[in-house]
Amino acid sequence: MFSRTLRAERIKLHHNPVWLAFLFLPIIPSVMGSFNYLQNIGILQEKWYDLWSQQTLFNCYFFLPALIGVYCSYLYRLEHINHNWNTVMTMPVPVANFVLSKLSSAALMVLLTQIWTGLLFVLSGKLIGIDTALPPELFTWLFYGAIGGIVISAVQLTLSLVIHSFAVPVGIALIGGISGLFASAKGFGVWDPYALLSLGMEANKAGSTMQCSCSQFLINSLMIIILCISFSILWLKKRDVLTM
Amino acid sequence: MTQALILEFKKARGRKIWMIVAAMTLVEIIWTLWGTSRMDEHDLAQGWESVLLQYPVINSIIMPVMAAVVASRVCDVEHKGQTLKLLETLMPAGRIFDAKFLFSNLYMITAVMIQIISMVVVGCLKGFAGNPPMDKLACYLLFTGTVNMTLLLLQQILSLQFANQMVSLSVGLLGGLMSIFLFYLPKVFSNFFLWGYYAVLTFVEMDWNPATRIVNYYYISENWSSFILLLGAFTMLYLIGRRLFIRKEI
Repeated sequence: MFSRTLRAERIKLHHNPVWLAFLFLPIIPSVMGSFNYLQNIGILQEKWYDLWSQQTLFNCYFFLPALIGVYCSYLYRLEHINHNWNTVMTMPVPVANFVLSKLSSAALMVLLTQIWTGLLFVLSGKLIGIDTALPPELFTWLFYGAIGGIVISAVQLTLSLVIHSFAVPVGIALIGGISGLFASAKGFGVWDPYALLSLGMEANKAGSTMQCSCSQFLINSLMIIILCISFSILWLKKRDVLTM
Repeated sequence: MTQALILEFKKARGRKIWMIVAAMTLVEIIWTLWGTSRMDEHDLAQGWESVLLQYPVINSIIMPVMAAVVASRVCDVEHKGQTLKLLETLMPAGRIFDAKFLFSNLYMITAVMIQIISMVVVGCLKGFAGNPPMDKLACYLLFTGTVNMTLLLLQQILSLQFANQMVSLSVGLLGGLMSIFLFYLPKVFSNFFLWGYYAVLTFVEMDWNPATRIVNYYYISENWSSFILLLGAFTMLYLIGRRLFIRKEI
């Protein structure tokens, strides 16, 4: 049953150009971050680690959360328009399956973006002539970053389910990203769902240890995801749908 | 035209578009407060210069997205309700375009005004040296207002052309990301991108001494030639965008 719901989600996204944004967005920080790195090469001595910070800092705090917001808004816009809620709610499919399949779609996009970010990082580093070995933490950064991204997806999907507007959740995501910057600076980033992405990717201080323990990171992430999924399921079960 | 504008006000009733604008402006103000929270004598002496540099940096991240959100909110209502068919039989398409643009601009200008008021209030409360530099604040209003207006125009064109609002919002985000990076690259690059004009038109520069870790801010002359270039880009964009909307099949 779940795999069929997932397939339905994939069909809904067929020929959708959303992936273009995910393809192009990581290119901007990798090009401009590398350029910035080359300009400050006198101060930046830690090679791959400095390049990583240059490329991911702005991206993690300000734009990846908002871009995930755009994707999640789009996923629910499909249901908000054309009276689609009537169809969705009368299908013999448990609401939980529907909610989980939305989250899986978003999670897949986050995973692909992380892989693409990693590839661009290695490529740009080689192109600008960093000759030392790749940082062994790269895989960990991408992995925890992906988890942080999935947490943001869960929050944004919940917002887009409740708020029918396309743009408002995106604005909230940008504000959320900025809140992540403050939360991390004050040391409680692990409690802010929007800070988990940059925390996981160690965007502001690559090479040091994460601000919190890995287990706390994972527990908090899981907690937020479960909370969002439960809220969405309850919302769909208890509230009457509003079609337009 | 007045009627078309009144119509926009009526459409926005109860839609709380101002809320997201207010939230984003509030974030900007909090950010500035954070930046000015620990200021010594040296910092206070150049307080006005520092906030006049800090705001454009924050604007470059937030304003492109704010423009995208406002334009999308104002234009998407027509796609959702499929109302353009009706509207265009009642008034010329160009007038709808202009009314929407003027209406959305009210939000953007209000945001900049609130920023300026917050700058003056923070400056006076913190005790920045000297009176508020009215001429510089007026320049800030003119420059930031014009960049916002141009980005808003671009976003409105995209939001009207593509019913799928993902297109316009993605462009807004890409623009914002580019904008903040352009701040840290030589200004010559910024001239080529609309989003780079927050950086191009900044009239305060910073000099950081890595040895002493002392930051000095100083005014530079306003970049009027780039401002005229921006006005040129705005006019061209307006003519093209308006024409595209008039000729669009509904």
